[in-house]
Amino acid sequence: MDALGLARLQFATTTSFHFLFVLLTLGLVTVVAVTQTRATLSANPVHARMTRFWGRLYVVNYALGIATGIVMEFQFGLNWSGLSTFAGDVFGAPLALETLVAFFLESTFLGLWIFGWDRLDKWVHLALIWLVTLTAYASAFWIMMANAFLQHPVGHELRDGVLRMVDFSALLANPTFGIAFLHVCFAALTVGGVFLTGVSAYHFIRRTTEVEFFRRSLRLGVVLTAVATPLLVGVGFAQFPIVQEYQPEKLDTVGALDGSGLGFMIQIGFVLLLVSWATVPLLFRDWVVKLRFPLYLMVVGIPLPFVAAIGGWLFREIGRQPWLVQGLLTTSDAVSHVSRDQMLVSFIAFTAVFAVLAIADWVLIARLARRGPVSSDESPVSPLVPAL
Amino acid sequence: MEGVWVGLLAFLTCGYFALAGFDYGVGVLLRVVGRDERSRRVVLRAVTPFFLGNEVWLVAAVGVLFGAFPRLEGELLSSQHTVFSVLLAGLVCFTVAVQLRSPAWDFLLVGGALVVAVSWGVLLGRVLGGPSVLWGAGLLVLFSLHGAVFLAWRLPGELRRRAVRLAVLLVLPCVAFVVAAVFTAGSVAVPAFGLVAVIAVGLLGGAWVALRAERYRVAFACTALVCALPVVAVFGARSVVTVSVMADLSTLRVLTWAAVVVVPLVLAFQWATWWMSRAAR
Repeated sequence: MDALGLARLQFATTTSFHFLFVLLTLGLVTVVAVTQTRATLSANPVHARMTRFWGRLYVVNYALGIATGIVMEFQFGLNWSGLSTFAGDVFGAPLALETLVAFFLESTFLGLWIFGWDRLDKWVHLALIWLVTLTAYASAFWIMMANAFLQHPVGHELRDGVLRMVDFSALLANPTFGIAFLHVCFAALTVGGVFLTGVSAYHFIRRTTEVEFFRRSLRLGVVLTAVATPLLVGVGFAQFPIVQEYQPEKLDTVGALDGSGLGFMIQIGFVLLLVSWATVPLLFRDWVVKLRFPLYLMVVGIPLPFVAAIGGWLFREIGRQPWLVQGLLTTSDAVSHVSRDQMLVSFIAFTAVFAVLAIADWVLIARLARRGPVSSDESPVSPLVPAL
Repeated sequence: MEGVWVGLLAFLTCGYFALAGFDYGVGVLLRVVGRDERSRRVVLRAVTPFFLGNEVWLVAAVGVLFGAFPRLEGELLSSQHTVFSVLLAGLVCFTVAVQLRSPAWDFLLVGGALVVAVSWGVLLGRVLGGPSVLWGAGLLVLFSLHGAVFLAWRLPGELRRRAVRLAVLLVLPCVAFVVAAVFTAGSVAVPAFGLVAVIAVGLLGGAWVALRAERYRVAFACTALVCALPVVAVFGARSVVTVSVMADLSTLRVLTWAAVVVVPLVLAFQWATWWMSRAAR
């Protein structure tokens, strides 16, 4: 494989890993914000315990995910310097806005939320988690705007061989942006719902004594999934006419990998939609717990939305080839002038490190999730979350 | 307008070196200051409230580099491909090890911090035309000093005494590095570079005096500034950052409103984190 092939494989690998973290972060932060809101309004201590438990899982995932985000950001300049040279004026703007408006603020708010636990006024603390949530979705907003520019470049003019920005609002109004952004948001909510459902189901399989805790969590998870999936599938299908209009070759020449990615995504989407709605009536009098077999399906289902999301990205990104910026810059023209060996070294280094990171994340989250909502005075698993 | 963005990039990069510098320093010194598992936990607990906040300065700096200096970003990163790859791998290992924190992972924690510190040194050396070995070692001792001073400020009892002893020991190697860096620098940058070096030596002296006088916050302020000075030197070497590598005014205008809102907010909230962590002690 040549340097270009390695650079593409590296981008695909690192982005896929990164996106797994992103999805769970977005999904869980929403759940935590909701439970903390209920904890603030209600006298029942179960909500505060739920906030602490799900919040701990969220923080671990965020803290490890941030490392993948840093690598992603560097990767553009390292391997795709042709992109920043040619289109950096336009493509770089939403990326820079993401790091400033979203990431920089998000981490700062989150740091304060973690260490403000039991120290800040409860309303201030609640406001912080909503600010974290808002900035987390703002992050997705800017990244999807940047990605939409690659699919359908707008708001620019070609001057002296490079793209210059002429109309920022055109980037906002890009038809390949808004609806795709919503699709990502609903995908994240689905991930959050399925994750909550699966972990709660696991505890019921183990005949947990924390019945009220996991009943509420399970209900929240099922309802969240049931609300999110119809919208997810809806905005998913609403994108076909847009792709047809602006990138018809995406649909005309579907390859093996992007084709099966699309197929998996659609099938999983429908399965989750049907199953979550079939589960809603079973929430009545905890039938779903008494029947027991749905619980096993819920645990098995945890990876499904992640698989679907990767499938969706494969379709969106592979379908654009050979272009990096549709119609303006090819992928092979954008790759950095670095040797094959250098690219190989960075590919191996990043893939290995990301694999370790992902496995560490899953092991740690699984360990914390299995342990359940134990009392908080035990020694923390992670020093980053001693307050939780 | 261009000047504002050069200033902002310099500010964010300086902030990253001054803040994350002590993260890496503490990482390198983890097993030197913390002789047993219990004390290592105490050492790490001193850093963790600031860990997220410190690392994001890098993210913000690179974001600004991409958005406002797109042609510099591609040029700089791809020309130093291997060093950046190694640096990032070290950074990821360090972050994971801090997060997972069990004795079995300490080699990743210490090793990751070491790799990050040395890699930044090598990069700075290459940009400023100095020898890589000197700069790699130099940034390592500099960040270690900063980490030791931070621990001297934040830790109690015996651990504090140990950190102070280490910090006092590390001042002289830092001075030696600064002097050597001036004598091996390319001739172009010497006047500005000499001035930066004089300030650095002055601040290192100040840190030493403050440590002796048990004024740890003053010492911390001194070493934080010293850590940021190499960045100042890079920006002082005019050839690195020029208007031709910058984005067009139309792009900068869009980015400016965001920076005007966000940077003061981040400063205020990060200050609140420091203030709260201090109140809790």
